[in-house]
Amino acid sequence: MAHYYDINEILMEEENITSTFKVGASEVAVLDPCAETSTVEQGAKVELPFWLAQYLRSKEVVTIDVPPCFDKKTRKEVQADVACVDLRSRCPYFYELGCKIAPMIGDRTIGSFLLVAFRGRYQDILRKAHSTAFVVAPKFLTLLTKEETQLYEAAKSSMTAYKKWRVGGTRFERVPILKKRRKPND
Amino acid sequence: MYGRRGTQLLKELSSCETGQLPALNTDTFDEVIKECKAHSSEVQSLTGKIQEEGLDLATTRNADYFGAAIHHYSIIRNKRCLMAYMYNRAEIIQSLRWKVGRILPQEISVKLNHSEEEYFKNHSSALESYMSDLELDLTVDMVPPKDPYIKVRVLDDIGTLLLSDQSPNLARHSIHFLKRTDAEQFISQGLMEELSD
Repeated sequence: MAHYYDINEILMEEENITSTFKVGASEVAVLDPCAETSTVEQGAKVELPFWLAQYLRSKEVVTIDVPPCFDKKTRKEVQADVACVDLRSRCPYFYELGCKIAPMIGDRTIGSFLLVAFRGRYQDILRKAHSTAFVVAPKFLTLLTKEETQLYEAAKSSMTAYKKWRVGGTRFERVPILKKRRKPND
Repeated sequence: MYGRRGTQLLKELSSCETGQLPALNTDTFDEVIKECKAHSSEVQSLTGKIQEEGLDLATTRNADYFGAAIHHYSIIRNKRCLMAYMYNRAEIIQSLRWKVGRILPQEISVKLNHSEEEYFKNHSSALESYMSDLELDLTVDMVPPKDPYIKVRVLDDIGTLLLSDQSPNLARHSIHFLKRTDAEQFISQGLMEELSD
């Protein structure tokens, strides 16, 4: 369950959702860049961050559209080759947003679509995390969503820990927060 | 867009590597608070307008009401951002006591503001009083050692220190055989390194 202080949850809620106002709202000029007055008119189509769209939808002020990252084009790409789809540029919180938005728009296919996408990519991420060289950040990392990146890092660090355990070695290390320090004039 | 600045603070925190602490961004923090005040005055003027028109605040659902609702919810959102920012920083600061020790190095302490330093000190003294009640140092390595002594190389001039069983001269590049518990804090501060056999 999400946590009030969870940074990823808060950042996920910043994703834009296209919403249509069913009623007008006064003095909120920032929301609608096309508006000539400070009032958002009825029927105006506006990009709202998810947190606001969700709230206004519960008050029945707006209706929301399906975000473009769950459209037909993306679905086709996922069907074609799931591991090569650039999900990050579509939405860095692809799965989390999908889970939140599916009950709101009543589209039952989103759930299974997310599952297919995740299942296909999960295997690929783990395989790559275990086999790629550690020095440079591989190119495919730029395709991963936030959650997948964390998964990749976890897999990588467990592999490092395993290797370290096999070889043996020192137990103590300098605290990571201090590692950035410039070496004193050696 | 409303609430964007608040999330910028969190982005800053999350783009850092795990366990790293960016300097407290007071400017953005104050701007978010200013934003909240602006929202609050908007809410007040809009509710005032509804009352002037002689409508009931509880049941009116016109454009003014929804405008006020948006501003109100933006305040709540900003509050969540600010709280999460401070909370997550506090978590990192707490963990520093366990990892780095009682005294923060200069390069970390400059990133804290006054109340965060105070928080660190209080957390530190609470932990210490608990450990002295238990008569046990909880911050040492959790895995029992095979040998109570380890070989270390000194990386920085520390000088002669009184340790639990000896008082070696810890000059730079010298190699010593120290008790694990004594050496641990120096290693985590980066003043020594452990040598494997």
